[in-house]
Parts: sequence; C-alpha cells; structure tokens
Amino acid sequence: MPVSSHELIAGFAEPVAASQQVFRAALKVMSEPGTLVETDYVEQAPKGLDLSTWQLALSLLDPDTRVWLSPTLAANDAVISNLRFHCQCPLVDAPKEADFAIALHNELPDLAELNWGTAEYPDRSTTLLVQVPGLNSAPFWTLSGPGIEQTRTLSIAGLPETFCADLIKSRQRFPLGIDIFWCCGNRLTALPRTTAIKAGMTEPSQNDKETC
Amino acid sequence: MSTATGYNFAYLDEQSKRMIRRAILKGVAIPGYQVPFGGREMPLPHGWGTGGMQVTASVIGEADKLKVIDQGADDTTNAVSIRRFFAHTAGVETTEQTAEATLIQTRHRIPERPLKANQILIYQVPIPEPLRFIEPRESETRKMHALSEYGAMQVKLYEDVARFGHIATSYDYPVMVNNRYMMDPSPIPKFDNPKMSMMPALQLFGAGFEKRIYAVPPFTRVESLDFDDHPFEVQSWEEACAICGSDHSFLDEVITDDNGSKMFVCSDTDYCGDRVAQGFVGSAADLPIAEMETEQ
Ligand SMILES: [Zn+2]
Repeated sequence: MPVSSHELIAGFAEPVAASQQVFRAALKVMSEPGTLVETDYVEQAPKGLDLSTWQLALSLLDPDTRVWLSPTLAANDAVISNLRFHCQCPLVDAPKEADFAIALHNELPDLAELNWGTAEYPDRSTTLLVQVPGLNSAPFWTLSGPGIEQTRTLSIAGLPETFCADLIKSRQRFPLGIDIFWCCGNRLTALPRTTAIKAGMTEPSQNDKETC
Repeated sequence: MSTATGYNFAYLDEQSKRMIRRAILKGVAIPGYQVPFGGREMPLPHGWGTGGMQVTASVIGEADKLKVIDQGADDTTNAVSIRRFFAHTAGVETTEQTAEATLIQTRHRIPERPLKANQILIYQVPIPEPLRFIEPRESETRKMHALSEYGAMQVKLYEDVARFGHIATSYDYPVMVNNRYMMDPSPIPKFDNPKMSMMPALQLFGAGFEKRIYAVPPFTRVESLDFDDHPFEVQSWEEACAICGSDHSFLDEVITDDNGSKMFVCSDTDYCGDRVAQGFVGSAADLPIAEMETEQ
C-alpha cells in the first residue's frame, strides 16, 4: 500500500523534545510496571490509533524497527501511510519477524506467534503495543516484581481470557518473554516480562472501566 | 531542534538516541542483562565514560537537572567537563546537590544521600562483563548467562578466601540482580553495593567501548555474591570524616601538608558539605581545607 498523502497528519510539533518526553514516559512505565501516565504531545493520531500508541510510534520507531500490525490496522490506509511517512518503519507480515507489534485488544496474536528472544539474546524479542478500551488501577490484576515496591493493581478491559492466561504463564520462561505497552486514549502503562501477575476473581466491570 | 551552537540536542543525532532508548527499555525489562547496542562514537577523549554519556544524552531533556560525580566529587576536571558538555549541548540546568538532581551521571560512587523515586542514576562502565576475566570469549559468557552458570565466579571469590582469609575484591564486586543475572556494578567500592538493592531510583549502566547497556529498575533486589561462612561485608573505617565528623560514609585518605600528614574525609563532597552546613564538624574543622590535595 503506497503512502496516501490525503491521510497524512502532523507528527510532533517539536520532534526532539517530544520524542524525549514520550521516551521518558515509556521508561517510567516500563521501570515502574502498571503505573499510568498520560502523554499529550500530539493533537491527533491517525484514525484507528490511540494518541498514546501514535506517540510511542513517533518516539521509538524508525527504519531500523520492523513493525507488525493486527489485521484491522494493517488494512487501515491512515495508519499505514502515517507510519510509513513519519517513522519509515518496514512493515512485516509475520509477528515473529517484528521488533514491534501493534495490535487491537480484540485481534491480539497468540503470544507464541511473537518473537520471545533467545537464551543468549533475550532482548531480541518483539515489543507488543496493545490498544485497549479501558485502563485503570482498579484491583483486577495484582502486580509484583522489579519496579514495584510491594504490589500494584491494574485493570485492563477487553482482553481475551486465553491471552491473559498465556501472559501469566509466560513468566515461567524468563528471561525469554514479551514486554507490553498498554495504550488507551492518551493513557499508557507497561508490563515487562518480569512482572508477576495475579489474576483477580472478577472481570473488569463495564461500569468501573474508564473508556478511552 | 538544535541549540544555538549548532549541535544536535545533547549532541547525539535522533536516530542514535532512538536506538539507545530502545536498548534502555530492553535493559529495564531484563534487569542485569547486557543489551548490545550499535553506538555512535561521542567526540570525547578516552576515559570520559562515553557509555554513560550516550545514555545520559538519550535520556536527558530540557526539564532535567543534571549532577555529575567522579569518585564522589562534583569538582574534578572530568565531572566539570561532562556537566559543561550537557549544559552547552542540551541547555539543561546542572547542580551539585544530590537531592535536587533528576539525573546523576556517576563514575565510581553512589551518593551517600539515599536516592528517591523519579531520579535516574547513570553509571559509566569500563568493562560490563563480570565474567570477562574468567572467560574472554563473548559467545561463552553469553552461554554462561543464559544457563545461569556462575560457578566460576564463586570459585574465583573463594580463591580469595583461601589465599587472604577474606574476599579481597573491594571494587567492581559482582552482584546478582533479581536473583537471575550476574552483573558488574562498575568500579564502585563494594561499600556502595548495598545501596543498589531496592533503590527507589532507576539505575542505568552504559559501557561505551563494548557498547552495552544494562539496568536495574527501582525496587529490585541486588545481592552481592558471598558464602555462608564468609558473608559479604562492606569497608569500614576506624576514623570519622575530618571535615564533617561522619562515621558512616565512604572515606578517602588525603594528604594535608608537605610532611605527608594524612586525614580521612568523605569521598562524597556534596554530602560532606551538606553536613557541614547543618553544623556537623570533624576533628580538622579549622584546617585550611581548600589547600588539601586528594591522594591518588
Ligand atoms: Zn564528611
């Protein structure tokens, strides 16, 4: 799919400063898993991407990062054109080949389809960005591990049960694993592969969830 | 955006920063694991700690306040040069006060004042691989880390015990991070090792020559290697700091006159100055401190 110029939107108004600030937000949530931050360095995102997803893309992606998109995003002219234009990142068809995978919550790849890295180079893994319909600190998941003094709670709406189960189980394979950024509107958090997840009793309720 | 001097912000070009930033995120996700990165050379004389500089350049923003220490001191040529470099190329504020800094780049010490959440400590690392002197081949040390095969290091430390009756290693003392990866803490004195564990601040490590980045997230367990019959111990001194009277900080021996008279003072100059400002005094409070020379 070529770049459609009519779909192009502006990136960061101040690319150097904004890239650094968004990276610091990403660093904050990756080093303090489950912490929620907001990033507001763009006015708009391409239709189909949340503001936080788009800002992470502008900050972290470039010609050196292979990107996989979940089906709806991969068929979205605005998403593809803007990623190509602003980030110049190559798009790949297989999740396993991707340095970054961007997926909607309801079309997540199986965790096993992503690249988990190798025993000698666990850093050569896919980083997953997931857009979810709700993200808050309600006690649905209880998190522990590096970056968390005792425990922290996190509630993510709209995740398939099998994906949650696979994610919880994936911790047994450390240092292999998948690090995930969760994006919702301008809000952002992360769960690196070190974070142990204890599932709560109930689904995140539709009433509690802050929609993004 | 470039500064008035025509440099890129914080000197590095944006693509190099992005690459280093991605490596930092991986490092944080795999605590203690050395992430290779394809670093660009910084225009600096050897020994300036280009790894630390590249990490600082990739992390720093206009809102940051940077402190740089070398052996605990803010006023060595090295520390002053690095501070000026970032003040010049990134236009950031600098400080000598540990409590005020958002970023602290360090060579050979961790400040005495406990670090807080949202501070980032950036270590300059000369040799990132703790197993290198045991196994020179990178392919082999990678395997040892992959399999958690760390027996060789235990043997090395135990040879110390057999020869000297105690573990003689006092700098660069190896640690285990989050009970998984063996990590070189950079040449800090082992006195500082306990400060690394469960620190509220984020710790980042940059090795410029070997192009490795590694990290310890906040509130992560860092344990110094030891043995049941020879537990890990930090250095201690009979003396207190001659300037501020501190009996709990890391002390440097300094020569006070041409006759070779000696005394002990805090290696952390900001900490020592703070204590003096609070009214603490040491045994040499009335000596002309400005004329002291640090013993190398
Ligand atoms: Zn002192």
